[in-house]
Amino acid sequence: MNSCRNRYSLLFIIMCIILAGCFCLGLAVGSADISVIEVIKILFTSAQTGSGKIIISIRLPRIIAAIILGGALSVSGYLLQIFFGNPIAGPYVLGISSGAKLFVALSMVFLLGKGIVINSLVMVIAAFIGSIIAMAIVMALAGKVKNMSLLVVCGVMIGYICSAITEFVITFADDSNIVNLHNWSLGSFSGISWDYVWVSLIIVVLAVLISFFMSKPIGAYQMGEAYARNMGVNIKLLRGILILLSSILSATVTAFAGPISFVGIAVPHIMRGVMKTAKPIIMIPACFLGGAIITLLCDCVARTAFAPTEVSISSVTAIFLAPVVIYILVSRRMNHG
Amino acid sequence: MDKLISTLKLDVGYGKEPVVSDVNIEVSPGEILAIIGANGAGKSTILKTIVRQLKKLDGEIRICELNEASLSEEDMAKKISMVLTERIHPELMTCFDVVATGRYPYTGRLGILSADDIKAVNEAIHTVGADEVANKDFSKVSDGQRQRIMLARAICQDTDIMILDEPTSFLDIQYKLDILSVIRHLAKEKGKAVIMTIHELEFVPALADKVVAVADKKVYKIGTPEEIFTGETLEKLYAMKPGTGTQITEGLLAYSKCLPLEGKVPNGRMRC
Repeated sequence: MNSCRNRYSLLFIIMCIILAGCFCLGLAVGSADISVIEVIKILFTSAQTGSGKIIISIRLPRIIAAIILGGALSVSGYLLQIFFGNPIAGPYVLGISSGAKLFVALSMVFLLGKGIVINSLVMVIAAFIGSIIAMAIVMALAGKVKNMSLLVVCGVMIGYICSAITEFVITFADDSNIVNLHNWSLGSFSGISWDYVWVSLIIVVLAVLISFFMSKPIGAYQMGEAYARNMGVNIKLLRGILILLSSILSATVTAFAGPISFVGIAVPHIMRGVMKTAKPIIMIPACFLGGAIITLLCDCVARTAFAPTEVSISSVTAIFLAPVVIYILVSRRMNHG
Repeated sequence: MDKLISTLKLDVGYGKEPVVSDVNIEVSPGEILAIIGANGAGKSTILKTIVRQLKKLDGEIRICELNEASLSEEDMAKKISMVLTERIHPELMTCFDVVATGRYPYTGRLGILSADDIKAVNEAIHTVGADEVANKDFSKVSDGQRQRIMLARAICQDTDIMILDEPTSFLDIQYKLDILSVIRHLAKEKGKAVIMTIHELEFVPALADKVVAVADKKVYKIGTPEEIFTGETLEKLYAMKPGTGTQITEGLLAYSKCLPLEGKVPNGRMRC
């Protein structure tokens, strides 16, 4: 028991150190050449030099957003996996991110057409409605197709439909504000402002904390519905909360950074392997940290690989994480014949 | 308290049509009640209704003289523990972790085990004789060990009533005897009320205090094993050819007399 606890503590400390390292790396790399020492100076003195402005108003919010939203996405995927009792679930592959994307795009075009500038909270709400609708469709399908792999195929199709409609909407709207939507609709942390960071910070911290304090019933639910009920868990309530929390988390991510592929499905799997446990009380913080680290690293790659041109974050996460997803699918098939 | 659990005119089933109707049973502390009947007769349906897996169609379930409907999920968790036939597939959980889930009703908000909880878990593991596998991955131990672990899980839930659905199916003879000895021990020495289903009739006379025979969508007969194990009853229950029942009954009773089911704690056996 104690050796386990020490192991978990050690791993958490290591992950925090890696995250701090990635944080510094993220601040230092980019199209403008600023050294690490200079970055630290700027952070502590908040100097208003040219480099200072780049760090404080461009790179810092972007990095913090990548941490918060990457973590959120991974926890969202973990909760979905608990809900479906299956590791092949995530907001992106089930089309939930794309549903959110479509609704954000629609509401933006609609409101901008009326001359109203959309604020961050409205974006989250639109994304949330989109997530819930996509989730409802997926759950209705889940009732019909019991096979999880088939459900994922359906989810991917829902994602394609939503993405296609989003593209139509964006293409036919010519407002300059909407032109920027194209980058966002592929998934990107570029142009994230402090306003977005604060809103997402509040929502994500709340949702992740609630999830963490739900780890006891979530752990019981992992034993299957029958045993969970016998332990005194209110199954309907728990399932409702799981769906709500995972939708809120993935909706916040989509509202501000667009759909980011495969983090939600692959990171919880990687974390189960690293932590060697499925206990939610360990897994929820581990997923958050792991999601933050991986998303932040992928964002660094997205910014620098073909600098000064940026690649979408989804292309980078897909290259690194899609193989993990393939591995999960193949190894499950082998285990279950 | 006289009866720990009783049912009054209970109708059970899926949907609207009752699978078994008018079930009237009662179990006192220290009593083992075995439900027997053919495949699909509705034995498990009765158990699933008692543990609220299925909604009861009609009638009443009384637990510690209280109407079950008035008890919350949390109250029920402290009154009734269970072992089901359905397999669980927990990922990355040791046998200890699986047993520890039985402490759920007693742990705090975050479900962290106290020293007392850990003691209860270890005791339960010891009671079923599974000490050797405690730290092994649950998905990698044998069916027999898994069943012991599930029984230990129910034991450390520390309830007065235990519901066991075919706890001995698919196990070898020694595992069956071990599991049944633990069940006897729980009833006779810890005063638990046990309701269980079982297909192996040869164990029932040595095991159970009361037998409920289910056939034709109703309780065909309730009584002591001696009253139930007659050729006529077995022929009725399992639709046997006339005459074969008597022969089988004699064999069953003779076999059962040889069984060492004293309610003693089995010694742990290294078999994984």
